[in-house]
Amino acid sequence: MNAQTTGRFAWKSHIGFIVTVVGLAALPFIMAVMEGLPVGSLLANDSSTAKFLQGLLVEVFILAVFAISYDLVLGVTGLLSFGHGMFFAFGSYLTGVLLKTFGWPLWAVLVGAVVAGLFNALLFAVVLPRVKGITFALVTLGIASVFDILIRTQELNPYTGSDVGLQGIPRPDFLNPVDDRLRFYYVTLAFAILVYLIYKRFVDSPTGRVCVATRENENRALTIGFNTFYFKLAALMVAGITASLAGMFNTLYKPLVSPEIAGLGFTVEGLLMLLIGGIGTLSGAMIGAAILRLMEYYLSRWFGESSAFILGAIYVLIVMFLPYGIVGTWRLRRLDIAAGRQRLLSMFTGRQRETPDEGKL
Amino acid sequence: MPETILETRDLRKAFGALLAVDGVSVQVQAGAIHSIIGPNGAGKTTFFNLLSGNIRPTSGQVLYKGRDITKLPLYRTAHIGMGRSFQITNLFPNLTAFENVRLACQAMGRNNFSFWQPARHFTRYTDRTVAILEQVGLAERAGQLAGTLPHGDQRKLELGIILGADPEVLLLDEPTAGMAAEQVPELMTLIQQIQQQGSKTVVLVEHNMNVVMSISDRITVMHQGQVLAEGTPAEIAANETVQSAYLGGLYELDQQDREPAA
Repeated sequence: MNAQTTGRFAWKSHIGFIVTVVGLAALPFIMAVMEGLPVGSLLANDSSTAKFLQGLLVEVFILAVFAISYDLVLGVTGLLSFGHGMFFAFGSYLTGVLLKTFGWPLWAVLVGAVVAGLFNALLFAVVLPRVKGITFALVTLGIASVFDILIRTQELNPYTGSDVGLQGIPRPDFLNPVDDRLRFYYVTLAFAILVYLIYKRFVDSPTGRVCVATRENENRALTIGFNTFYFKLAALMVAGITASLAGMFNTLYKPLVSPEIAGLGFTVEGLLMLLIGGIGTLSGAMIGAAILRLMEYYLSRWFGESSAFILGAIYVLIVMFLPYGIVGTWRLRRLDIAAGRQRLLSMFTGRQRETPDEGKL
Repeated sequence: MPETILETRDLRKAFGALLAVDGVSVQVQAGAIHSIIGPNGAGKTTFFNLLSGNIRPTSGQVLYKGRDITKLPLYRTAHIGMGRSFQITNLFPNLTAFENVRLACQAMGRNNFSFWQPARHFTRYTDRTVAILEQVGLAERAGQLAGTLPHGDQRKLELGIILGADPEVLLLDEPTAGMAAEQVPELMTLIQQIQQQGSKTVVLVEHNMNVVMSISDRITVMHQGQVLAEGTPAEIAANETVQSAYLGGLYELDQQDREPAA
């Protein structure tokens, strides 16, 4: 428990992460082989099945980044934000407008998306000290709705395309999902991994620990001397930037922007990803995003119109049997197993255990 | 004449029509254990919340080392040297005991916005945490989630969190609340030790009269939001008004008085 900082890298505790990364990096090639295609055709970018599956995974990576950024706000810091979809939609729209209307180069768009993420976080921070809990949810929902209405107005039609959305966005040469999908696949994969690693570090850092403390018991965090506002703001800013960048990749990949992503539905979809994977677990958010997107696709392919019904049934089952999500429930299980092993050990070694519930009110 | 470290001047707090704290002026001397006692509903906890800045008074002042801290934001009070515990256990339930104390240690440092290094690498906080857990007797429970600790250990952890900030004044709101009777002396000895070693000031709300009489340097008796009496334990024990307040008379009356108001 104490601060043991061994210099050696603990391979064993990172095995799941390493396997996932290597697996995802090799996946396009594995899929090509399974389809009976020569690996060369993959690099030549002319196999449509492999290309399609890569595209599906690109969507998963982008959604996973969106989900993990939502998890930082909702699951780690405990801010009940119902406007998180706006962070993503803002980045999406900004990228589209900058590329299409203003013809900015890609690096400038990237900078723009980061600035937009910060701007959004500060927008939420304006109301942050004044409202808490469910009121914060309603106010953020309100801010997001204003954004939704704004992009749909006729006055902004030349920029946002109103109800139709943005179409015909020029693709930058470096990141062109049609000409070189494999490169796009690896760029988004690297982006998702990078975000995950940064988030892990952030949550483990002193700043991140205070965010967790704020979620656990804000009043206590204040009493021991933390001005929790700044920590909530930090979480919002980090999440704002990443969600905005995810939105940028979304536009680059599609390349169109539909006004649907600015609606409440998209935020709720993010919430579902968190519920499936486990709120506050980071990795769970990404797994949840993958499951949701893949389930949506395959269920609608196999069952057609009735897929929505099956999807709903699966959600209900997950909430019933995995109340803390996949990763959350698994972690709790592991704790239980560890506790059980301890109890068994103490039975054999004969060490006395204190009764756990003494003097409880 | 010892120096006054904490002082209230004519402190008042009204909840609607109810005056929970009605013009309390108390002086706490540096290095003393100052207890506040009184029947249920006397306004002790409200008075405490006013002292620590958890709620704002309707009128009156709180002074710390001669400085007016009445309007000081809650998170600042820890930084000027005041630490408080709560009557109802108030921890970070899903964090380990270690992390609960470590956060309190970190709060006083300058690394709160280090967002890159893992928190466990900041050894000045982790070392201190180990020492504090040792002191309050929770070293073996360090890895356990605070919410799953036995109640007695949670009370000790509460004390550990306060020590993390190394305060000069400890505001302890019924530190033994809900504890098994045989554990109470252990905790009180611990509090006395902490107070003597660090020459700290302790302000204590407590129901257990034996405890209060044995460890206090000064006692303030509150009743219906007002100060009924103040003095050394011997003076309080001999005070007739206090006697009647605790031996039924005034206490019964108090309950009847309040019923229509509530």
